[in-house]
Amino acid sequence: MLQQYILKNKEAHYKMAFSYTKSKEDALDVVQDSIEKALRSYKKNGAPDHLNSWFYRILINTAIDYTRKNKRITLMEQEKMEFLLEAEDQYRNFDLETAMEKLPNAYKTIIVLRFFEDLKISDIAEVLGENVNTVKTRLYKGLELLKIEMKEDDNE
Amino acid sequence: MNKLDDLKKIYDSTEITDELEFKVRQSIRRTKLKNGMQLGKKFAIASVASLIIFTGMVNINQSFAMAMSELPVIGAVVKVLSYRFDVIENDNVNADIEAPVISGLEDEVLENALNEKYYEESKALYDDFIEEMGEIIEMDGHLGVDSGYVVMTDTDKILSIGRYVVNTVGSSSTTVQYDTIDKEEGILITLPGLFKDDAYIKRLSDYIIETMKSEMANDDSKVYWVGDDQFSSFESIDANQSFYITEEGKLVLSFDKYEIAPGYMGVITFEIPTEIISDLLVNSTDEGYVKP
Repeated sequence: MLQQYILKNKEAHYKMAFSYTKSKEDALDVVQDSIEKALRSYKKNGAPDHLNSWFYRILINTAIDYTRKNKRITLMEQEKMEFLLEAEDQYRNFDLETAMEKLPNAYKTIIVLRFFEDLKISDIAEVLGENVNTVKTRLYKGLELLKIEMKEDDNE
Repeated sequence: MNKLDDLKKIYDSTEITDELEFKVRQSIRRTKLKNGMQLGKKFAIASVASLIIFTGMVNINQSFAMAMSELPVIGAVVKVLSYRFDVIENDNVNADIEAPVISGLEDEVLENALNEKYYEESKALYDDFIEEMGEIIEMDGHLGVDSGYVVMTDTDKILSIGRYVVNTVGSSSTTVQYDTIDKEEGILITLPGLFKDDAYIKRLSDYIIETMKSEMANDDSKVYWVGDDQFSSFESIDANQSFYITEEGKLVLSFDKYEIAPGYMGVITFEIPTEIISDLLVNSTDEGYVKP
């Protein structure tokens, strides 16, 4: 069951991992490490109540650990990527993208899960091990931060 | 909410690499394989017939080389021979699987059981490789398996053999498994067999947790899955944790890639100071397997 879930959702997991690592190799590493962790835990502790929330929790923890340990490399990759993209991809909203990058993980994760992965607030609370109100507060705070960043950039 | 739509578009347009499918399947298979690699309960005897059928099958499918190579005699009693399966499709797709064959053990049942196990494991690796190969060639991907063995210790009394499986696509070793044999008595030494009772599990686990934590505190580049991450936090060694004994008689515990740490840490070993376990050992004198 877990294996089918992993195979079926691998692209979503990869995108999520990529949103942290910003490089193909690192995102693949995070996905692989997460699968190994999940399968081991599954074997040891049995099936979790909510597979999806459970797996996202592992994935996010792994990704955050990974970026923490590989900060230097991540930054370099990111700069390289932005440089490359700038040349061809004009319609991209770089200010917004940068603002999103700058957002602390605590806010970014919630925005990604809520709006990009379409998880319910209660599911996100489960993923993060926080209560629903904390998640809501952080979601609005995160959105607010994005707007504030945007306005400052507009003024320049 | 338009801004969010823009962000979502960017997020959704993350390019999915072709490697993803393969890597995900590889991870799933790796844990499966690990299960299959335990020594089976039935001690079937490796027959010459099965070897011939196997090579026959291999010949049909692949350019194949099988070499029986005799290594210099190891130790006075036990010899280690090997045979190998090589598949070289092209630069990107190849397998080199070498299995040890022990001969000269007093106890033939043990010898046959070990050799059968080594053979079965190698064959399973090979079968997996063949199964995957077609698809990989079609995708123009990479696939490499390198498996073999290392004699870790060979004294008058004991022989420790480690068998490794390296995924040459991934990077470092994925799994290492050891067998330690008492050459004089002709018995396979097990981890529980070294100790008076189960207390060693907690003692060794505590030592390893402590070591992991202090290594992480002192070295930023080291990460172990220990502490606050509740999903995969290391709590205890397996009662039959992979181990070998060094020439000096020190116990070394081994953990596969991904078992207790992220993939980049590779295979991890901890040498255990004998003094922390000496009161638990069946024989803690110089005559024992594990020495002071």
